[in-house]
Amino acid sequence: MNPSENSHDPLVERALVGFDLAAEHHLANCPPCQQERERVQEALQLFGAANREYANRSETFWEQQAARIRDAQQERARRSRLTLTLTPGLAVLMLLAFALLHRAPVPPVPQPTAQIDYDHELLVEVERAMQSGTPMSLQAATLMVEDSDSSRPMNSANSAKESRSHEN
Amino acid sequence: METTLTPVLGATAQRISAEEFDAIVRRHQRRVHRFLLMLLRDADEADNLTQECFLKAYQNISNFRAECSLETWLLRIAANLARDHARSRKASFWKWLLGFDDGTDEGLALHVVAPEASPEQTLLAREEVRAVWEVAGKLSHQQRAVFLLRFVEEMELHEIATALGLQIGSVKTHLFRALQTVRGKLRGPR
Repeated sequence: MNPSENSHDPLVERALVGFDLAAEHHLANCPPCQQERERVQEALQLFGAANREYANRSETFWEQQAARIRDAQQERARRSRLTLTLTPGLAVLMLLAFALLHRAPVPPVPQPTAQIDYDHELLVEVERAMQSGTPMSLQAATLMVEDSDSSRPMNSANSAKESRSHEN
Repeated sequence: METTLTPVLGATAQRISAEEFDAIVRRHQRRVHRFLLMLLRDADEADNLTQECFLKAYQNISNFRAECSLETWLLRIAANLARDHARSRKASFWKWLLGFDDGTDEGLALHVVAPEASPEQTLLAREEVRAVWEVAGKLSHQQRAVFLLRFVEEMELHEIATALGLQIGSVKTHLFRALQTVRGKLRGPR
């Protein structure tokens, strides 16, 4: 029987993976499978030995590698110590910078004033100007008003009241 | 040889001195380097990752609980580094692009030790080793790691499970599939 074609194939692998009672029982009664296991096992042993031999290096190599690892470890430790030393200082500096930025005087923001106030004040001022000084073109009319006022003194108080009411 | 950290450091040790670290490196560097070399098939990367593996170990030594041997713990770190490296694939891309070949399969075959074998038998053994090497290269990363730990490092299944962070059942499954592939190749015309 050709072991490569028999239906018991997986049992060889199962026996090679580790102890397997069913596989061992079968192999004990099946010489071709047993031969196949021995053949594969031998190849795997050769493979393992060749790998170990191939990966072997000289003592100098291992010395150099150990030295490189030691140097790298010391370098990392040095960097770590440096970081530990610098971190608090940097934190203090950042806090100072933060505090300074927040203490700087803030320029006053001009408060926008309502336009309506200006307009109102302007109107009042115009009215006052109109009342205090009479324009040239109206001087004749003013004289007429004064004349009529002098003839009717009782009405002067009323007109003053009227003119004052415009101020509001 | 099973080596635990406890004899070196003491059960409650959290940190180790440079001398103790150096002693650990010297004791375990060969196995870690060999495992990475076989897994990555790249001598430069194996060197770099061996160094990285020990530096990581030093950094995380306080996490080591002595539930497994120190060597198994180191191999676990190495396997994780190799997995991350395989994922990045940057190095292999450039090597593939430049047609780089480290000649490992040829070199490996020359290291076949077949004492008292005839030249024909030695040649046959070399062919077999080359075939296993070739097919091992085509296995998935996890299968290859399991396969190498079992047949190159000759570790027990539970040790492999601890080293790779797997259940024993998963280790057996990976190993079974790897062996099926390898056996399929060995059956071929010789």
